[in-house]
Amino acid sequence: MSPILTIIVILIGLYGLATSKNIIKSVFCVTIIEAGVILLFLNLGNLEGGSIPILGNVIENIVDPIPQALMITTIVIGSTITALALMLCIKIFHNYGSVEWKEVLGREE
Amino acid sequence: MIRRISLIVLLVVIFFGFLYSVIDLEAFFSTYGKDYFFANGYLETGSLNLVTGIYLDYRLFDSLFEAGILIAAVSGVTWISQHEITEKNASFMLDKQITPGLFITFSRMVYPFMLMFGIYVILFGHVSPGGGFQGGAIVATAILILYYIDSKKATSIDKILTIEKILFLTILAVGSISYFTKGTFFTNPFALSASEAVKSIYLITLNVLIGIKVSLGLVAIFTAFLKEGR
Repeated sequence: MSPILTIIVILIGLYGLATSKNIIKSVFCVTIIEAGVILLFLNLGNLEGGSIPILGNVIENIVDPIPQALMITTIVIGSTITALALMLCIKIFHNYGSVEWKEVLGREE
Repeated sequence: MIRRISLIVLLVVIFFGFLYSVIDLEAFFSTYGKDYFFANGYLETGSLNLVTGIYLDYRLFDSLFEAGILIAAVSGVTWISQHEITEKNASFMLDKQITPGLFITFSRMVYPFMLMFGIYVILFGHVSPGGGFQGGAIVATAILILYYIDSKKATSIDKILTIEKILFLTILAVGSISYFTKGTFFTNPFALSASEAVKSIYLITLNVLIGIKVSLGLVAIFTAFLKEGR
């Protein structure tokens, strides 16, 4: 059931990416898609009633540590990519005076 | 209108395609990797935290690429945010605002504890939940509070970028030490029979390097955004 919820989050991001008129909102939609992908990966490694993948206590079933290790790097990369995109938005606003897709793309340079 | 309807049709098609692909997930779901890490992870990496063991030993290549992408993104942000008119934009955005006195007082109280917690999370990343990435983000938040207390404490981004490049090469060098002791790249250079304390030297070193790198990268990005205020 839970992987279906994550694909719904990803689809909401895709829908927003296709319909948003503002560049900053598009950046937000990319972030939403990324959150959905992270949830999907963590769901695939999840185990009902499993314990954290840290040894040392008396534990039997651990959740899969590989998706968690992959997602740590994804979160850091995602934050930097968002920062890069927002910095581009600031530059676009300084050069074009607007962050609307229609005004930026329709302007003849 | 027709575009909106076709978009919704496309999304529904993607949804059912995904549904079809996960409907028999149990058929090819394997716990082999998990069982392997559970049985051998502590012996081979010396890390109680299996996640740390994976991203510092088995898949250090991923962490190296992550560090490289971090450098690329920080360099990109700094390069894009360059100004032609320097004297007009050299001042920080915070200079124009007056930070409330209450905020400054509480920031001074919280700052040392945040820094200490971040360093704790970095140093104990191999035995408890934590690690270089998470601790680095906490340390970066603590350093960013300093900007609110006194914006003159800002370091130049060029210096931070230089330190980041040196750190990236250092991580590469520390990862390559194992080539001379074991014959393979990017693994723990100490022997399998070594004690946990000896093995954790490698893990703590890499965690500290990655933590400093992540925190400096986030601070550099924030500083670039602050300088953007006109």
